[in-house]
Amino acid sequence: MTSAVAARAARRVHAEPAKRAWIFRMTWPRAYLLSFVAIGAFAAAYRLLFGLGAATNLSDRWPWGIWVWWDVMTGVALAGGGYSMALMVNFLGREKWKSLERAAFLTSLIGYLLVVGGLFLDLGRWTNVWRVPLFWTGNPHSVMFELVWCVSGYTFIQIVEFGHIFVERVKAPRLSALLHKIYAPVLIVGVILPFLHQSALGSLYVIAKGRLDPLWWSMLLPVFFLMSSFFIGPAMVTAEGFLSARFRGHRPPVKVLGQMVRLSGALMMVYFALKVFDLASRGVMGNLFDGSIRSLLFLAEIGLGILLPAFLFLNPRTRRSPRYLVIGATMAVVGLALNRGNVVFAGMAAAAHGATYLPSLMEVAVTIGLVAAGILVYAFVVDNFPIIPEGQSETPASAQAVTRSRPYTVFVPKPRIRSEDPPPPGS
Amino acid sequence: MLSDVTESERDSVAQQGISRRKFLGLCPVALASVATVGQSSTAVVDDKSRQLAKEHGNDPALLVDLTKCVGCGACVDACKKKNALEVRADQPASGPNAVLASSNWTVVESHNVGEEVSPVKRQCMHCLEPACASVCFVKALVKTEAGPVTYDPNKCIGCRFCLMACPFGIPTFDWDATLGQVSKCNMCVDRTSQGLPTACAEACPSGALTFGHRVDLLAEAHSRMTADPGKYVDHVYGESEVGGTSVLYISDVPFEKLGFVSLGKEPLPEYTWRITRWIPPVAMGLGAALVALYARRMKVLEEEGEILRAGREGL
Repeated sequence: MTSAVAARAARRVHAEPAKRAWIFRMTWPRAYLLSFVAIGAFAAAYRLLFGLGAATNLSDRWPWGIWVWWDVMTGVALAGGGYSMALMVNFLGREKWKSLERAAFLTSLIGYLLVVGGLFLDLGRWTNVWRVPLFWTGNPHSVMFELVWCVSGYTFIQIVEFGHIFVERVKAPRLSALLHKIYAPVLIVGVILPFLHQSALGSLYVIAKGRLDPLWWSMLLPVFFLMSSFFIGPAMVTAEGFLSARFRGHRPPVKVLGQMVRLSGALMMVYFALKVFDLASRGVMGNLFDGSIRSLLFLAEIGLGILLPAFLFLNPRTRRSPRYLVIGATMAVVGLALNRGNVVFAGMAAAAHGATYLPSLMEVAVTIGLVAAGILVYAFVVDNFPIIPEGQSETPASAQAVTRSRPYTVFVPKPRIRSEDPPPPGS
Repeated sequence: MLSDVTESERDSVAQQGISRRKFLGLCPVALASVATVGQSSTAVVDDKSRQLAKEHGNDPALLVDLTKCVGCGACVDACKKKNALEVRADQPASGPNAVLASSNWTVVESHNVGEEVSPVKRQCMHCLEPACASVCFVKALVKTEAGPVTYDPNKCIGCRFCLMACPFGIPTFDWDATLGQVSKCNMCVDRTSQGLPTACAEACPSGALTFGHRVDLLAEAHSRMTADPGKYVDHVYGESEVGGTSVLYISDVPFEKLGFVSLGKEPLPEYTWRITRWIPPVAMGLGAALVALYARRMKVLEEEGEILRAGREGL
């Protein structure tokens, strides 16, 4: 069976790009995802036509909810893998990580497109959105100004960057030449903008001094948000690498992933030290141990989301074990979502004066629909463009023989192939 | 032999990477010290609030003397009439459940203090340096030249950052409409710009509301407090809160018992500004560093390529 797949892959490699058909394999998981997208699209349309009150459980006490937490705050941070990989590979000499750059970069691009979508759906007066590009009428002192401009600018930059992958398959010589010419400046702006808006997401809450709980309110919020978006990058690439390896039937590049998460682990320790310093310097260390729900949430965020993954990433033995690598990466991602949730919900609960918020079904449907759309787009792009390298030394030898000539290969295994896979990593 | 050279070249790239990683780790520490050192001293804050008070001395302002308020709700009715606001059962404008909302730009809350019920009128405080306007990036909420903080629904995109930012929890959103608006008191800007008092001040039968210039009302508040020692709490709420507000309160009941939040003297936008002013230098510094790093990497790659080419030709 493996040799049949290899032969198929070989045909693919040698076929002319123009003759290759666009693939979208329909599988059961994908059918489910499509139905989630349809439900989400319906909820989104309903929300735009009938208003925020009709579709959401938001209120004057809880003006920001699950969309701000997940679609914006967490989404932008989890997409941080794009700029952190770009910085490490293209500027700081981590050439060996280049093979994973495209996957990180694709997640980032899709993440940002979803963020822009989520942000738009959250606008109560969305018909006035055309005013946003009129920057000379805007207020540059607002953090939202910085955020919106950097997020939309970076999304555009990423679309341009994706052009390089696009022209590998779709022949467009003029576009290709233009992209080549602007490659370096695009790369540089593509690192500056994320630094600005990742930190801006934290700066948003600086004005909420007195409303945001002192466990989270800090003048260092922008630094914390920036750092966490950076160190979550490799963790996200790892989690995603394992997921995609599972579904596509190849082995994840554990060695390179281990090198990457080591950097995350080191930055997590710096982050932890800074958090301790921050709490101590503001004299709120005592609040940590008052047994309140928010103190427990804070401890969970630091313990499970920072210290545990940092330990697993820094310890050479756990770093080389696929199992612990996945556990560490998953905990880091969960910890990050928890941190953003703590800022958006737990930290603001006291300012809501007892009012509660639970997202409505429509809010949840929109969020799930956006995530499902993201996964489908990811799957489609990976099926049709050379994103995930398959010729690494850790893949089966037969596949290696086919792909040696090219760094990237479009490789479409049948779903059945998984039964004949090499034993799953970690066993 | 030749491949050894390439390996050592690669190693040197890797070693550079390690030292850069240390550098990367130091960046946030440097930022942290900047952010911490950037705290304003009390002297600076006092200077700032004196300057704000001077600048806005002639702004239209409202003095609320809570000792004179009888809780009749005439101000609420006048406000609704003036601004054509609905009366809604689900948004009570007076009593224990009174809540600022899309149809209530002002409310009279009742707070139980011991045996007695104390009425408290609430509306936008019209900060001298408003957080809501500072975060509004389409300038729908602005601090007008004359003083009142006003809202323009044609500019608003409905991001609700103002609701998050206001330390008093004043702006509200009309959740029921397809395209809801932010609503809050605009200090009857059409009336006050002509020197007329606000609708609520004009309607108040008990003398609890006084309309005038901010500097005069501050003097009036302090003279009432000295004229009747012991009657009032020794604090004019709004004189220095978040840099000062144009609505001022005096009371015989401690403010914290009436639901007033305790706030510092520094205007909240200052906190954001202490961060956002670093954006241009950080962006430029980062850009310069990236250009240098990229150029260096290109050089290393080129040298490596030449060595490889030389190796192939040699073989």
